[in-house]
Amino acid sequence: MFWLFFNHEQVRTMSRVKRRTTHPPYWHVLKNNQRQDEKISSDNLRFVREVIQDKYKNKSPIKGSDLDIEKKEWDPKTKRSGVIARNIGVQHMWEKDGKKVVCTVLHVLDNHVIRYVPPEEYAKSIIGAKVFRNRKPLGCLVVGAEAANPDRFTRQYCSLFSEVGLLPKKRLARFIVTPNAVLPPCTPLTAGHFVIGQAVDVYGKTIDYGFQGVVKRWGFKGGPASHGATKFHRRGGTIGTGRDKARVWPGQKMPGHMGSERRFCRGLKIVRINMKYNVIYVKGTVPGPTNSIVQIFDTLLPRRKFTEAPPHPTYFPPEDGTLPQEDIWDSSLHVFGSPSISV
Amino acid sequence: MLRRAVLQTFRQGLAQSFFKRNAVSLSETTVTHQPIETSNEADEKSVSKQKPGDESGNTVVVAPPEFRFMYPEFLPDPAMERRNRLKEKLERIDMLQRRSVVEIPEFYTGSVMAVTVADANSPNKFARFVGICIQRGGSGLRAWFILRNVVDKQGVEILYEMYCPLIQKIEVLRLERRLDESLLYLRDALPEYSTFPLDMEPERRLNNSVVPINPLKVKLRPRPWLERWERQNLQGVEDLNLPQRFYDKAEKVAKPWEKYDLMLQYRKTIPAEEQEKIFADVHSQLQQQEFKRKMRRRRGTDNEQ
Repeated sequence: MFWLFFNHEQVRTMSRVKRRTTHPPYWHVLKNNQRQDEKISSDNLRFVREVIQDKYKNKSPIKGSDLDIEKKEWDPKTKRSGVIARNIGVQHMWEKDGKKVVCTVLHVLDNHVIRYVPPEEYAKSIIGAKVFRNRKPLGCLVVGAEAANPDRFTRQYCSLFSEVGLLPKKRLARFIVTPNAVLPPCTPLTAGHFVIGQAVDVYGKTIDYGFQGVVKRWGFKGGPASHGATKFHRRGGTIGTGRDKARVWPGQKMPGHMGSERRFCRGLKIVRINMKYNVIYVKGTVPGPTNSIVQIFDTLLPRRKFTEAPPHPTYFPPEDGTLPQEDIWDSSLHVFGSPSISV
Repeated sequence: MLRRAVLQTFRQGLAQSFFKRNAVSLSETTVTHQPIETSNEADEKSVSKQKPGDESGNTVVVAPPEFRFMYPEFLPDPAMERRNRLKEKLERIDMLQRRSVVEIPEFYTGSVMAVTVADANSPNKFARFVGICIQRGGSGLRAWFILRNVVDKQGVEILYEMYCPLIQKIEVLRLERRLDESLLYLRDALPEYSTFPLDMEPERRLNNSVVPINPLKVKLRPRPWLERWERQNLQGVEDLNLPQRFYDKAEKVAKPWEKYDLMLQYRKTIPAEEQEKIFADVHSQLQQQEFKRKMRRRRGTDNEQ
């Protein structure tokens, strides 16, 4: 009976955790601006846009700061930065033996590093204190993606980026990094950050199914479709015994909101990288619907981690101006332009 | 009176803009039994139009309007939630790459085709199947078609994925169309309508520029059938000779208002402007590939001589 009791306890604790909110945390800066009805002529509007473009173009990593990229060594315990991407769909590819493989296409957006929070400072913050309660603290890189017009955001939100001199980004994410994988602000992150054949973890919000019944949500079998079943086709049935505790246990599986939860998909293999369009093809599927934003980072799974040094701390285009190979394929995949497979 | 006139013109304008936008897509819904012109021999008969020129003064190549019937898999799935222009563009590049290696000819449901596939379990490692195309679907790299034949009195259907790299060769032995877009009723028809010799030779077409429509009316076997064919408005089937109650029930269950539902058709199709852009790009690439193939063939015959 002891293992049964333990199982209930685990379910009880998790059922009390609040899984979804529609509002951001209280310590977030107010983000979106109410659209002002500014009576501005189209010529002036165009001029303002040109000024913005001139001001923010050709941003390069801030040199001369403490965070200059000295050649810091990679070691197997390094945690590199991750990347913000959009899941743009699913494409079928084939392996060299003809086996079909479902690959998710992830478009790495225009990522830039916004800020680095050193380990001591991060450990004092609310989230950092929780994460590193009994562990050695690590640093935190704030990365932004999808530059947008400053008009749609509040002044406080734009100030997060103006210190660095970047156009405000629609999306922000934090990535835990070891101090030797630090990047200076304004560093761009591209698809070249990853290596062909490596395993990545993808973190995203699952598809929102809304209020769902017990059959779809928990996989209950429901009741018989015919043979005289009266109003019992997709219901849950019994929700407890009469004897034990004589009440419904917390965590009892019932209809409710399904989906729209943050989940990891671990250990997905990168099978193709397109450097021209900044697109990664990952073997398998990823949490969330098409066109949703996800975060990609190197896997935590111990057997699939790096054995050799990846582009550390990130990929930089070669200084002699040579362009990288546009389309890199994994050795297991059949390249579409190559001759048909003969078994 | 003036307000009503204004409203009327507004409504007309709306309808006109709808029709203009969907002129290409709406005509797809009503099965037009007009033979389709192909641009197979593109250099012999220049079907591709040249637009009078854009701002830079260059002539803009426009694909022939029949392309949306010849290559329907280049159009993406119209469901708006799942559309992404970048992904569709990348998929198209991959499709054209594959087409540069294997010639995937133009075909329709009702065409008789032969497909050679690499098969480890076959005696000579290649398996060839001949059959009539009864259905085709999918978009992008997932495009598929089903071939049906009757072999040793057993009906056999094989679904082929058009862009699978195991496919060595796709030949069209008889290029024609039928009166319906889907020939699934051949499963309930007499076997002679689905039987084609496995060693069938490719047939030469008399008129290369027009795809003929075979007005064949197929005889079905006696009931029971796999589907309720009387409810599907089939043109290519002989009179079903069913009791009147079947037709009465079909009328009750029918949805005759769907042909007037503009939004339904709009959601099922890609807008005409996007179709033009997609096929313009595809057309130029396919022309280049066709030219390269011709040169390879000519060089081959020269070498033989």
